[in-house]
Formats: sequence, C-alpha cells, structure tokens
Amino acid sequence: MTAIIRAESVWKIYGQGSPREVNAVKDVSIDIAQGEVTALGGPSGSGKTTILSLLGLLTKPTKGSVYLEERELSSLSEVYRTKVRRERIGFIFQAQYLIPQLTSVENVALPKLCTDMSRDDAENLAKERLTALGMENRLDFRVAELSGGEQQRVSIARSLMNSPDILIADEPSSSIDEALTKDLLATLRGMSEENGLTVIVASHDPTVLNWSDRIYHMQDGSLVE
Amino acid sequence: MGLRKHSNLVSYALGNVLKYRTRSLAIVTALILSTFLLGSAEFIREGVMTDLNASADEGPDLIVQKLWGGRQAPVPLEWKENLSAIHGVRLATPRVWGYIDVGGGGLLTVMGVNASEYGTIVGTTGTEIMEEGRFLNDTDRYRMVVGEGILDIMRASFAGVSVGIGSALSLIAQNGSLIEFEIIGVFSSNSRIYSNDLILTDLDSARQVLGLEGASCTDYALWAEYGEDLNSVAFRIDTQIADARVLTRDALSDAMLVTYGNRAGVVALLWVVLLMTVILLSFTVSTSGSDEARREVGLLKALGYDTVDVLEIRMFESLTLGMLGASLGVSSAIVFDFILGAPILSGYLLGWSFLLLNGGLPLAISAPTIFTLYVVAIVPLLVATVVPAWRNAITEPDVVLRGV
Repeated sequence: MTAIIRAESVWKIYGQGSPREVNAVKDVSIDIAQGEVTALGGPSGSGKTTILSLLGLLTKPTKGSVYLEERELSSLSEVYRTKVRRERIGFIFQAQYLIPQLTSVENVALPKLCTDMSRDDAENLAKERLTALGMENRLDFRVAELSGGEQQRVSIARSLMNSPDILIADEPSSSIDEALTKDLLATLRGMSEENGLTVIVASHDPTVLNWSDRIYHMQDGSLVE
Repeated sequence: MGLRKHSNLVSYALGNVLKYRTRSLAIVTALILSTFLLGSAEFIREGVMTDLNASADEGPDLIVQKLWGGRQAPVPLEWKENLSAIHGVRLATPRVWGYIDVGGGGLLTVMGVNASEYGTIVGTTGTEIMEEGRFLNDTDRYRMVVGEGILDIMRASFAGVSVGIGSALSLIAQNGSLIEFEIIGVFSSNSRIYSNDLILTDLDSARQVLGLEGASCTDYALWAEYGEDLNSVAFRIDTQIADARVLTRDALSDAMLVTYGNRAGVVALLWVVLLMTVILLSFTVSTSGSDEARREVGLLKALGYDTVDVLEIRMFESLTLGMLGASLGVSSAIVFDFILGAPILSGYLLGWSFLLLNGGLPLAISAPTIFTLYVVAIVPLLVATVVPAWRNAITEPDVVLRGV
C-alpha cells in the first residue's frame, strides 16, 4: 500500500498546561492509502474530527509528525501548509461552514477566488460542480434559503472546486437522508476510482463505514482494533 | 500575475460591504456623524486661525490702554509723545473705537484713526487693502472707509438702492443725534475679523459718534522697530508709563483662542465619543466577539487563503466603508458650514466674538485639513477591523472554526 498521507505517533492536546487540558488524540499512527476510501469510526468525542484536522493540515500536532507523500509537514510554515490545503485538499466540514449571505454559486466558488482564476471562471466552474450534484435549480439561492441536504451538497461541491487529491469529509451524511447518502458515496467512489481521489471520512453511520475500503475505529483519542 | 487574484479579493470585499447591509450602514452612519462634526468644527477653526493670522499681519504690534481704578479709561493724547520716545517704538498712533448697535443683535465697529499715520503704516496706497475708492486723508470729516460686511448690511436694508462709493450712511451718535457719513472707500482685506464689519473714519468724527472727550482716545496702536522684541518693548512701556496696560499681538490672539479653544474642546470630546462608537462597532463585528466574522476568517484560511489575502479583504472592506463615511461626512460638513452657515455650531464655537462678525462666519478649508479628516476616520476603522482579522488569520483554522 502506498500511503499518500500518514500520521506518525501524533498527539493533540488542547489547552495544554491549563486546568481545561484535553487530550483529543493520543499517540495515533495511521496510513492513508492513495486512491482509497478510508473511514474513521467511533463515538462522538473520540477524536475523529481532530484526526481529520491533523491530516488536513488545519492544525499542528502537539507531538508526532504528519507526512504528505513522505514529506514531513508539521514543522513547515503556515504559508506552505496553506498552499497544500489550497491545491491538494478538499474539505467537507461537519458544520458545513457555509456563508449564509452568499449564494450557492458564490459559496462554492470561494476556494478559487484566492487563485489566479477569474471570478467569472470560478463561478462557471462552481455551477458545473453544483449541477453535477443536482443543484442546477438552486444556483442563485442564498444558502440560508436551502434545506439541510441542499446545504450539504453545496458543501460537497465546494470541496471539489480545487480538484483535490485528498478529500476530507467529517460526518458527510449527518444532514442528508439515506438515499442522498448513497448518491454522495457513489459520487465519491466514482471520483476515487476514476481520478485516484483519496477520501478520508469520519462517520458513525454504518452505511458510510461499510462502503469504505478501510476502517479505523477510535475511542478516547486512540485507535482501537 | 496575481492581478486576477487581487481583483477577486477586492470584488469579494465589496460584495461583503453590500451583503452585510445593516453592519455597513451602522458603521457608515456613525462615521458620517463623527466626520461631519469634526469637519464642521475644523473648517471654523481653520477660518478663525486664518483670520487671526491675517489680523495679526495687518494690525498693530502693540496696543496701549489706560487703566484707572482697575478699569479701562480714555487715554490722554499727551501719551503720544511719551510712547513715541520709548526705545523700539516706530509709531504710536491714537485710535478711538467702539461698537454701535444697528438692531437685530448686530454690532458694527467704529474706529477713528489719524488718517496719514494709519494710512502709511498699513500701506493703503500701492497695496491691495482697498477694494475700491480711496483711504482717508487728514482733512476728511464724516467720511468713512468700510468693510464689505457693512455694504452687505446696507444692501439688505435698502433693497433696490445702489450702495457703494458715494453712498451715505447715517449713524446714531451717543447723544442721540444723527450723523451722516459718506462712504469713500471699501476694504478688501482677507481678514473678516479685522475689516468686514469695520467703519474707519477720522478721530473727531469717531469721538462724536462714540461720545468721547476731545483730547483723548480709546487706546494707542503701536508698531515696533523692525527686529525689536515685542515683549521687551511692552516691558519698557509698562515700566515707564504709569497706568498703562500693554497688549501684545500674541496676547490678543491668545485671548481670542482661549474662548474658541474651550468650546472647541467640547466639540472634540463629542467627536471622540462618536469615533469610539465607530471603533467599538467595527471591533465588535470583526473580532472574536463576532462568531460570524471569526468563522469566516477560519473558513477562508481552511480553504487555502493566505493571511495576507484575508487582511486584503478586510482592508478593502474597511477602506470602502471608511472612504464612503468620511466622504459623506466631509461633504455634509462643507454644505453645513459653507452653504448653511453652520447654524448652532458657529454660535457655540465662536461665542461672543461671532456676534461681532455680522458679515460672515470665518471659514477656511485646506488640503491638509481634508487629509486629516480622512485619516482620523479611516485609520481607526482599519485598525479596529484588520487587527482582529489578522489575529484570527494567524491562529490555526481548526481552532478558529471549532472554537477549541
């Protein structure tokens, strides 16, 4: 198995040294194979989201290292880590983090506005992504006017804007029904097989876990067999 | 290279200004109010300063009055010899002056001078002091040179009648008699405090109007020799002439500025309060106090925006709001001061001295003042929005987004 990204003995401690210190992740080592769909299972608060943040370079480990194609990234500058996020990683957040005042298209186009792609081109690409997810009738709706499922699809479309190598999805099925979940998983599977997209998904939904190529279970911040 | 990206960021920032309408409107409104208040006061302040400087240039170096029993008393004409003999005095010339009520709360300044001495010292020939007509000469009686403000009052009182050189103006003397004067010249001085409401005539005519005895004057205007230190000359006069009170040019300016300065301080305080409102408002909607703004920064960072990209967006947002608020505030202040005459504010700022300025409010506007108004409006807004955004942008996106 060729690991595109891996974590080696990573720890993440929030509020270190304070009375509210939390060991969110404890000594976790994990390999994510290129082109595979890897799932992280476990109850709420087990550290799944924190592992995703570490692998997605949204935070640095308190201890240990994260490697992207064998290049150690934890110690690199924020500028470089931001560049990697911009060019190679897509995110589907559990809380979605859509900007309610913006339309679907404007939200989806956001990742491309900090590149040299023109705004018009970015919005045309955003329309393509949204149309592919069945949102062609909601392109100019403000996301505050959309249903939970529609908002999730906007979030998914946004995660694919930069044609990422790695897609990180945190509870992607949390606000959509089973049928839509299956559609979403089929879409991601198709992208994985056709484009070699690596998918890392955190979920406690059995449908999602059963669909993945590899499953890791977490408990109290650690991986369990 | 990179131009499209900056264009995208600017476009996104401008979009934010329009999308967060309530926030934008609140900030712009508060900025308009604070800039308007400061601008209105500044234009008056600059006008007062300009007039004071002009008055100082045109007026005497020193004024000598007589104090008797602690009160100002008529100065005997014999003082002229003593004053002229004091080292450093180039010219000492008597003045007879006072105010006459023209009704409606308006006052005009009547000043009687020695025509040849005064004319020589202020340079009435070969200069631009006279707008039209001529200055007084030693043989003139019941003739006057007036400021533009006097003509304005006359035109307002006698609509349809041509007013200018050769027109007659009757003044009610202190004894109740009516004395008719002929206008022979009009001042064109830039200084409104000095000449706009001024009637300049000969000493005897002024004495008659103001009811002063024959061998006295109100005060002496003195000009010092070039290069002389005014305070030293004032000290010599003070020590050599009993009962003399000497006012230097600086002391006169200071007396006017103290009155203005105290009131301007209250306006400045009001401005500070308004500006603090802008800053607090901006700070609240752009800091960690606003979850929405904080999360937006975290999201942009997570999606690959560099810290400078985030700052660029926030900077353009603030610049747009700041320029808009400051421009509307400055424009409103210009309309309020220069077109509407700064009602209420001018009376408050200038106090009693404004009552003497029947001809108009001293107003001035300059590029440095406009620049200052923009800077004090925009810089605090930039700081209040960009600094919190920068703090969030340098924090890990995970921490900003999840608030952990």
